[in-house]
Parts: sequence; C-alpha cells; structure tokens
Amino acid sequence: MSMLRVVGLSAGYGPVSVLQGIDLEVGEGEFVVMLGANGAGKTTTMRAISGLISRQGLVEVAGDDITKWSPDHIVRAGVAQVPQGRGTFPELSVEDNMLAGAYVRHGGHDVRDDMHKWFEVFPRLGERRHQRAGSLSGGEQQMLAIARALMSRPKLLLCDEPSLGLAPLITQELFGVLERLNRDEGLSVLLVEQNANLAMHIASRVYLLETGNIVASGTSAELSADDSIRKAYLGF
Amino acid sequence: MKSLFTIREGGAANWTLRVITMVAIVGLMLYIPTKWEAGTLNTAIEGLTYMSAAMALNLVLGYTGQISIGHSAFLGIGAYTTGIMVSRWGFSPWVTFPVAFGIAFVIGVLISFPAARIKGVYLALVTLALGLVFPQLATWKKLAWITGGGSGLPIACPATGVSRSCEGTEVPTTGFNIGPKSKGQMQTFEIFGWNPFGDLRRPDNKAAFYYWIALVVAIIVYLACRGVVKSRVGRSLIAIRDNETAAAVMGVNLVRTKAFVFGLSAGLCALPGCVTAIKTGGVSPEGIINMTVRGAITFLIVMVIGGAGSLAGPVIGGALYVFVVDKTGTWADDDKIPGVLRPFFAWSEIPPGDGIFAVLLILLMFVAPRGIAGLWKQYIHRIVRVIPRPAGAIGATPAMATATATPTSNHEGEPQ
Repeated sequence: MSMLRVVGLSAGYGPVSVLQGIDLEVGEGEFVVMLGANGAGKTTTMRAISGLISRQGLVEVAGDDITKWSPDHIVRAGVAQVPQGRGTFPELSVEDNMLAGAYVRHGGHDVRDDMHKWFEVFPRLGERRHQRAGSLSGGEQQMLAIARALMSRPKLLLCDEPSLGLAPLITQELFGVLERLNRDEGLSVLLVEQNANLAMHIASRVYLLETGNIVASGTSAELSADDSIRKAYLGF
Repeated sequence: MKSLFTIREGGAANWTLRVITMVAIVGLMLYIPTKWEAGTLNTAIEGLTYMSAAMALNLVLGYTGQISIGHSAFLGIGAYTTGIMVSRWGFSPWVTFPVAFGIAFVIGVLISFPAARIKGVYLALVTLALGLVFPQLATWKKLAWITGGGSGLPIACPATGVSRSCEGTEVPTTGFNIGPKSKGQMQTFEIFGWNPFGDLRRPDNKAAFYYWIALVVAIIVYLACRGVVKSRVGRSLIAIRDNETAAAVMGVNLVRTKAFVFGLSAGLCALPGCVTAIKTGGVSPEGIINMTVRGAITFLIVMVIGGAGSLAGPVIGGALYVFVVDKTGTWADDDKIPGVLRPFFAWSEIPPGDGIFAVLLILLMFVAPRGIAGLWKQYIHRIVRVIPRPAGAIGATPAMATATATPTSNHEGEPQ
C-alpha cells in the first residue's frame, strides 16, 4: 500500500491555476524527492496535499481519500508538513513550539516523552528549550520545524525546501537527519527541493516538476543518467 | 547578561517571591474598599472595568492577532442585557451576567466568521462598523419599546429601591441578595442573612459594594483569560498570530479556533458592561459612555500601554489609565501647573489625561512596543533570574539541568 497517492491533482490560487493535474506516489517508508525550479508548483503541491488550498483530483493517504478533508483532519490522518520558510512560532519557546506541534494529540505524558526523545535527536534544541524560537539561528529553526512536525507522530512528512537560506554544511546535516528518520523510524518522506545534488543522493525516487506538470520521474540513478536532466538540474 | 540574584523555579526563594506578590495583591484588593471613599472608589471601579474589557480584547488582539475596534459594542450588549432584563422583566441582576455572556458570545462568534476570512485593516473596519452601529441601535426610536431609546432604562438601585429617573413611580423591585429573600433587601445586601456592607444608602458602602462586584468580574475575566492562554488552545492562538499556515499544518482548525476566541472575548467583554449598568443604575447613551467607539479605542490604548499579549498588561494599563486621568483631570485650569505646561493642557478640548496618554502611546511604540509588561519582562531578569525547572527530563538530575541551562529569559516562574 502506498502512503500517499496523488492522481490528477490540480490546484491554484483563485483564477490562477498552478498544478495541471499531477500524479505522484510515496510508498511506505520511502524517501521521495520532488525537484523543480522556482514557480514550478512545488510549494503549491505541498499546500494542496495538506489541504491548505482548494484542489481537484484525488489525494489518498494510507488508502483513505482525503481530497475533501480539512487541514486539521489531514494532520490527524498522519500527514505533517514542514512549511516553507520554517514557520516556527517566534514568540513561543522551543518547548512550546514542540507542544504546539502535538496540538492534535491533546497533551498527556507521552507527548512529553516524545519531546524528550526528539531533544535527544536534536540536542541543540534540548539545550535551548526555554529560549524563544525567534532567537534561534536559521539552521536551528529548521531543525525545530522538523522536530515540531514529528510531534504529531506523522506517518508521512512533507518537507518544503528545508535548505532555503541555509549554509551548505547545515543543509548537509539536515538532510542527514531526514535520512536517519526515514531509515530508523520508517517515516515516509516527500521532500521538495531545488538543491538537486544533495537531494538525489538520499532519495529513492525523484519527480521532476515543471510549470505544474510532472515531466520526468524515476529512481535517482535513472534520472542522473539522463543527459538533459543532468544538465538542467544537476549542472554537470 | 548577569543578574543580581539567581533563583531556581520551585525553590524556597521563588515561593517566597510568589507568596509576597500574592499577599501584596490581595492586600491591595482589601485595602481599597475599606479605606477609600466613594469618589476614589468609583475611580477604582472604572479602572476595573477598563481592565476587564482590555483583558477580553487582549485575547483577540494580543494573543490571536485579530484587530477589533468594536469591543465597545460587546460592553454595550452586556449593559443593555442587564438593563432590559432587570428593568423590563424584573430579573435579579445576578442572573443577567451569564445571559449577557451568552448573548455576546453568540454575536462574537457570528462576527468572527467574516473575521476568519479577512485580516488586518479589513477586519478592523468590520469591527469598527459594529462599534458604530451598536450605539445607534441602542438609541433607535423603533427599538425604544425594548431599549428605552434615547432616554434609556432605569434599574432599581439597591440603595434606595427607586431608580434615578423613575422617582415616585413603581419600578420592578429586584434584589441583590444571594440566598433566601428577606425584608428590606433594597437597603442592604445579604448573603444568607449575612450583611457585609451595611446600609447601602450610604455612598461609601454603596461604592464598596459596586467595587466588589467589579473586582469579582475582573478576577473572573482574568482567570478565564489565564486558563485559555496557558492551555493547549492558548498555544494555538499564539501560533495563529505568529504564522497561520504553520498553525494550520499543526492541525489547528483556524475557523473554529478564531470563532471560539472571538466569542469568548466578546462574552467576557460583556461582563464589565453588566457592572456598569448596575453601578449607573440603568442604561442610557450617557450612562454607558464606553459603549461608543471611543470606549473601544480606550480599551485598545489601555491594552497596548499595559502590554498586548501578556496577562498582566491590561491590568497594569487599566490602573495607570484611570490614575493618570483622575490625577490630571483639573490640570487644564490648575494654577499649580507651571505656566509653560498649562497652555499644552488647556490647548485643546480633550481631557489632559487623554493628551498624556496619546504622547505616552507614541513614546512607548519606540521604547517598548510590548507595553509596560513587555518592558518589565525585558529588564526583570537583570535583577532576578528564575532558572526553569527541568521539564521532567528522564535521567536528568537537577544538578545536570542547572549546568546545561542556558542564560534564557524565562518568565513562567515570575509572579504575575
């Protein structure tokens, strides 16, 4: 069974249509990357899957048709999104950000236990747990955004361009964390990126998005073997 | 930043501080009605009214980030609910509090549905429209059969048993008693036969009686706000304010949460309205001055000066506002004011207090955008820093937690 199945998804903002009916799939425990230039519709895809904008087509999560569900129900169904530009809550402490991530779980001891577990995975956050999120560095905030998303105990993690505005070294560290989460926790990941080199390294499958259409898909090896794709996206 | 004292949350020093603060607050609450006279007590009641309204507004504006310039209407709804129920139908004033809360809650929820879709300036305009329409409706001739129109409605006051404008005529006799009714209830207030205030015909006793009503309402509003803010819902409010998209993907239902908060805020704002109606002895456009947009602006100023998005902010703001307005009321033509300053206060029609607050508001926007409460939070940890309790870390001993604690500015341990 696939964790996420999207068929003929089209979405946009008011009269402007951005996605022209795309198909994609993320298997259970799979790490899928979606590459695309600015304006290709990557963020729109993420927003459409999470139910933040109106959409047509079919979106299935673990076999459930969630096309008509509201965003909060989709989170409850096990989909967590790390929004573009991190979207941490600057006025809340790191700890409160984490607890806000567990909003759908109604508190309790296991929420605290989860938080401490993620503080072990992200020790920098644990050190700064009483600090305002707004006082963290960009890389720490991105870590926080990921850890916060994990607090809802998702089955599928949507990551919208986490490398945005981060130093290459930090980006590498971040992708390492995502890879470990996928491998050790069995978390299915859909990562949207412009940073093709790094992303294709850890992805099991890759989709290429261009002006609202999927123009190519396949395993990382297949796509990097394709000359035109390599030139356009990998730059060598 | 080095601080003078470092204490641990939950430690002896921390508890001592908390106890001292509580004793000071409770002491002040008791001192005011026992020592002050009717005139100053009325100022205190006014202050409590502003505090309650600003606290209610703070839920919507300070925490959720939705602008409302129409909260005066909710205060008016509270006042008119009490006025109509007591005067027209003879209900006990106590009953009107929950009813006013309910009515304002429903209207607040209805207003919030457009509010969930629109933001910023547009929402400000919608709420402004509400604030402008309400006083018009309250004095509208065609609604005079229920609201009393331009002349308003009298409430039998507990002091004399007759209302201010209906002397000599029969007015509904409604008791302020709690417990079984007894004779002479109009002159006294009794709780199951216990008469704590004495003869309510004496102005000082009467003012003290109203003070306690206003204080209890303010405490209820404070506790309600605190309960919401410190809860899971409170976190989601700040989340909505800081980043709506992120809040939505955390699973926060934006429409429902905003509707609930707007409703709650409206309901709470109605309560000081009920107090005002009881204290004024009825409702009328002149009696309930805060039901016009000017009232809403005052709530806004009180909240912003005290500190938006903080529980203590509106309390500080309300106290400061009435203090300044009361002390400066005569400055416009006071000979003791230095000659240079007098023209400033006598210069325009506005009361000196409002002029001072206008200047203060502009100054604070530069110095402390988070108001006085924000200023306090910013500097208090230079004097006392509270090291937060390790949040039940597994295997972490307190010593370890202290060693790893970073120099943060945590405020949870501070007395509010």
